Amino acid sequence: MVQARDNREAGPIVLHEVTVRYGLQVALERVSGQFPPASLTAVVGANGAGKSTLLAAIAGGLRLAGGSVQRPIGGLLGFLPQRAAVDTSYPVTVAELVALGGWRQFGAFRAIPASVRARATEAAAIVGLHGNLERRIGALSTGELQRALFARLILEDPAAILLDEPFAAVDAQTTTVLMDQLIRWYRDGRTLIVVLHDLALVRAWFPTTVVLARRCLFWGPTESALRVLAT
Amino acid sequence: MHALLMAPFETLGFMRTALVACAALALANGAIGTLLVLRRMSLNGDVLGHAVMPGAAIGFLYGGSSAGWLSLGGLVSGLAVAVLGGLVGSGRARDDVGLVAFYLVALSLGVVLITWRGSNVDAMRVLFGTVLAIDYRALIQIAVVSSVVVLAVAALYRPFTVAAVDPAFLRTVSPLLPYQMMFVVLVVLVLVASFQAFGTLLALGPMLLPAAAASLWSLGVAASIALAVLLGLVASLTGLLISYHGNLPSGPAIVLAAGLLFIMSHALRSAIKLVRGHA
Repeated sequence: MVQARDNREAGPIVLHEVTVRYGLQVALERVSGQFPPASLTAVVGANGAGKSTLLAAIAGGLRLAGGSVQRPIGGLLGFLPQRAAVDTSYPVTVAELVALGGWRQFGAFRAIPASVRARATEAAAIVGLHGNLERRIGALSTGELQRALFARLILEDPAAILLDEPFAAVDAQTTTVLMDQLIRWYRDGRTLIVVLHDLALVRAWFPTTVVLARRCLFWGPTESALRVLAT
Repeated sequence: MHALLMAPFETLGFMRTALVACAALALANGAIGTLLVLRRMSLNGDVLGHAVMPGAAIGFLYGGSSAGWLSLGGLVSGLAVAVLGGLVGSGRARDDVGLVAFYLVALSLGVVLITWRGSNVDAMRVLFGTVLAIDYRALIQIAVVSSVVVLAVAALYRPFTVAAVDPAFLRTVSPLLPYQMMFVVLVVLVLVASFQAFGTLLALGPMLLPAAAASLWSLGVAASIALAVLLGLVASLTGLLISYHGNLPSGPAIVLAAGLLFIMSHALRSAIKLVRGHA
């Protein structure tokens, strides 16, 4: 099911002087730069540095106070917000949650096709959730829920993926499994933008890093970025 | 036995009409109520229930106690509040002082408007409903609204579920349609259909109580709805019989019966947990 994609035609995600305000407070100020196709970028910075705001701005869920975001035409964008605001008390199973990733195949009204169900089972296996398909999402641990949401992203098959703190409050084993999936997406030729706290992970896996402190302090090779952070 | 359970419905047409109206309402209430309870939006339902009041009162000023005018007024003010009140947007944590203030004002305004031109009896009818006075036209209206609501819930089942579980995801895959809004409109529709029978104060009872009783059993959504409908039917039948034999107001009797079912459901659930815990 995993096919190599060629996103180079889709073009980069380009930020031009992006500014976001919440009321009077400036959350992001004139951030410019571009995420080339098939790139893996970490976004780091202190709390309140505007990391989540940056992702939301790229995803298109925010009104910009200034500047523009240029998204690749036709390329789907997958967005996993921080602590994804999933209501786990609602009686939904893992299989149902994961299958939603195929929404574009069946939409709001049609029955979920068998092919999507099969892909959901496959995706659940990839993130190590086989045998958990019929469990309610309320019975999952934080790590297991995050795995299920990753499986849903696998089904969504987006050209660009935005992840906000995907490993927060998640156990080490889950982090390993999900990091593997991240790398697989990257090798597939997808564009990944990941907000992270764990600098060891950033150093180990991410070629490019953006350092934010409301403004963009640095945007480039991870090694130099970490040096900027250290000073 | 026959005299106790069947005779009232055999001999009295208004009892039959009331039973059919309650059955139709139980279907719509079971579906909408379950979704409300699962989404923890009960309080929103309460607010909308009161929002119907001032509009119904204005409808009364125009058209007297005709069901049509009351419903139209109630529908308009219910929808207006749904849209203006931002109930549509967030669905979660809000200013509860604001809500309490709102429904005190809505309630008082409604009562003042009605008693301005009408009597206390009229006010009582709007507040507590008149299940036994439902005529043929009102019955058709209730049946139509209930059918539309049940069909709409069936059709919009998936988006409603996703809107509850993961609204951010729904926005990314389907940003154009205001499902949250549609859901609130359905809630208002049922409340308006319901208020002829149960009044603006009690309309929420037959919607929430059977659904709350059913939701205690942590079933799937569809099973929960089915159980809520069943409990709603049982409450309607029991309530009507109690009101007939005891010469008690029927709307409150039905809501009381639903309340009893909720308490019994709760007790049974706790008892089972206790037994399992000891086993």
